[in-house]
Amino acid sequence: MKRRTFMTCLGCGAAAAVATQTGLFPPVINSLQNAFALGEPKELSSMEARHYKKLPAGGIECGICPRHCQVTDLERGYCGSRENQGDVYRTLVYGKPCSLNIDPIEKKPFFHFYPGTQALSLATAGCNVNCKFCQNWEISQSRPEQTENIDLSPQAVVDLAVQRKTPNIAYTYSEPTIFYEYMYDIAEAGHKHGLRSVMVTGGYIEQEPLRLLIPHLDAIKVDLKSIREDYYKTIVNGELKPVLDRLVQMKSSGIWLEIVTLVVPTLNDTDAEFRDLASWVKVNLGADVPLHFSQFYPQYLLKNLPPTPQATLEKAYAIARSEGMQYVYLGNLPGHPAESTYCPKCKAMLIERKGYRITQQNLVGNHCPKCQQEIPGRF
Amino acid sequence: MSKVVVVKYIGDQRNRPLTQSEYEMLLKAALHTLYGQSDLVAVRRYLPGGTVGMKTNCLAHRLNSTPLALADALTAILVGAGFKEKDVVVWERSNRELASAGFTLNVSGAGRRCLGTDASVIGYSEDFYGSGEVNSLVSRILTEIVDVNVNVPVLKDHSVAGLSAGMKNMYGAINNPNKYHGNNCDPYCAQVNSLEPIKSKNRLTVIDAVRVQYNGGPGYAEDYLAYYNGLVISDDPVAADRIGLEILEHLRAINSQPTLERAGRPVRYLASAEKLGLGMADIKKIELRVIMIDKNGRESAGELLE
Repeated sequence: MKRRTFMTCLGCGAAAAVATQTGLFPPVINSLQNAFALGEPKELSSMEARHYKKLPAGGIECGICPRHCQVTDLERGYCGSRENQGDVYRTLVYGKPCSLNIDPIEKKPFFHFYPGTQALSLATAGCNVNCKFCQNWEISQSRPEQTENIDLSPQAVVDLAVQRKTPNIAYTYSEPTIFYEYMYDIAEAGHKHGLRSVMVTGGYIEQEPLRLLIPHLDAIKVDLKSIREDYYKTIVNGELKPVLDRLVQMKSSGIWLEIVTLVVPTLNDTDAEFRDLASWVKVNLGADVPLHFSQFYPQYLLKNLPPTPQATLEKAYAIARSEGMQYVYLGNLPGHPAESTYCPKCKAMLIERKGYRITQQNLVGNHCPKCQQEIPGRF
Repeated sequence: MSKVVVVKYIGDQRNRPLTQSEYEMLLKAALHTLYGQSDLVAVRRYLPGGTVGMKTNCLAHRLNSTPLALADALTAILVGAGFKEKDVVVWERSNRELASAGFTLNVSGAGRRCLGTDASVIGYSEDFYGSGEVNSLVSRILTEIVDVNVNVPVLKDHSVAGLSAGMKNMYGAINNPNKYHGNNCDPYCAQVNSLEPIKSKNRLTVIDAVRVQYNGGPGYAEDYLAYYNGLVISDDPVAADRIGLEILEHLRAINSQPTLERAGRPVRYLASAEKLGLGMADIKKIELRVIMIDKNGRESAGELLE
């Protein structure tokens, strides 16, 4: 779908066709009837948000993420998906996904979490950071009235996953922290039906909401975008330290955790940064946490940069392995050997991947078939 | 020097919303003074092109938005200056906001157009516009439909920016205003206004300062309303806001509110805007003309703060 048709409420395909063929207003608008051209007003959610407090002088302070937006009446937080309405903070995206697909779990990516299974994957509009490289900016950097949304209650999501026989539900594409209430309720309902929930996040979430959410989740993938605070400030528009704190919190909770770093040429691709990142993960989370380095492709506000060279990713792989990380992967390089899982002890091929497809699955339970080494994960 | 005209209605002693005809009196007097032209047809010279936009501020619905009477008065003047009525486009972020402020949505091709960026087949620009840290898509009403724009905000306090007048109103022209409220909107508000379509098409600012929300904005807070009974008009968007700030601070002071600086929301974005070359924030570089108008349309010189 073209960005324009995605971003605007066109009402119906015919309107889009008219716009494309004949150019814009005033000729098109002249030919349209009022009711048709103006479209139906977009109904947003008015569910009260969780994790906020009312301020003594009026307004509210959001507590869902470290940004702690203070928001007065009729204004929104940084994410654009929560609005103060008479000093009641409301989520505008509850039950209003703008993206819904069935993906392989490897696409998230999770490589040690039920490999080969499918995930009903969904997102709403909005994000609490603004990464210059965002691959999904058309939804993450939009407000909910700017996206095409469907009505889908938490129970309807669960019913759909059951109907489509997808054992996982993934909160992904944008930043699920900003649709926390929706995610929480789906995950809770999903568990009652034996469905697993996985969160794909930047990890920029406050401690308490995360603590309450984790029991309803089964795995979390965190985009650790860099190990440098200035990168978070200038490229991500966020902060590194809260993300590191949440990673430690996640790991200590026992939930399954994988980490991805998008390697952006000239911005976070030095040997020292790869070393520092791998070293931090090993020391603070453990050598057995899967660490993925992904190839950047020019998008959004960084169209001036080239795709990450394969050699750079291979360098990141080599450095992370030399730092002692046991499960290092390269992403967006279909067919590369570093997409596959190997036994850290005997080097046997355990899971062979080609892109998102699994071509060999040699694990026996969660053990290497040759040396009986236990492989961490959920298999 | 930039010229700013403040025109105040002193028709009666009772504070009240103005009618369309009263607004027309104020607008005519102000535009005569601003442009130095006695014939309003000359307004067309300063608003070149066939289609003119009128960006309203309808955030606070009927309670404190751009008055319909002001938009109607301005429309009458633009039509008098030679624009066809159907080529006057009243616009906002959304249809819902316009309707909630009392405007009648209209894209029929007959009469004044009125629509939100979220109307069908409108939306935002295909490409990003950037200035400093701001990268935004801009309403296609501004980029593709109108040739020039008249910014018609209301003067009010803003809980983050301090001042909400003309420049802050242009947050309603971009797709991601929520990203640019940090640091009291500085320098973001200046940068939003230096996005190419906004900078090049905004030719006139008409700030409604008849009834001013001097505290508790940008939403409606009935405990903090005061009547100033005037309009602030300039072709310099920064200078117009600078004078608006004088009025806002005055109303705050006489109503026992601290300065915006002391309230924790200093208005620094005006100085940033001057540095970007958008206009004059330094009051010494602004030629201010204050006109008082009585109910018979008689004009006299006045003071900004009295």
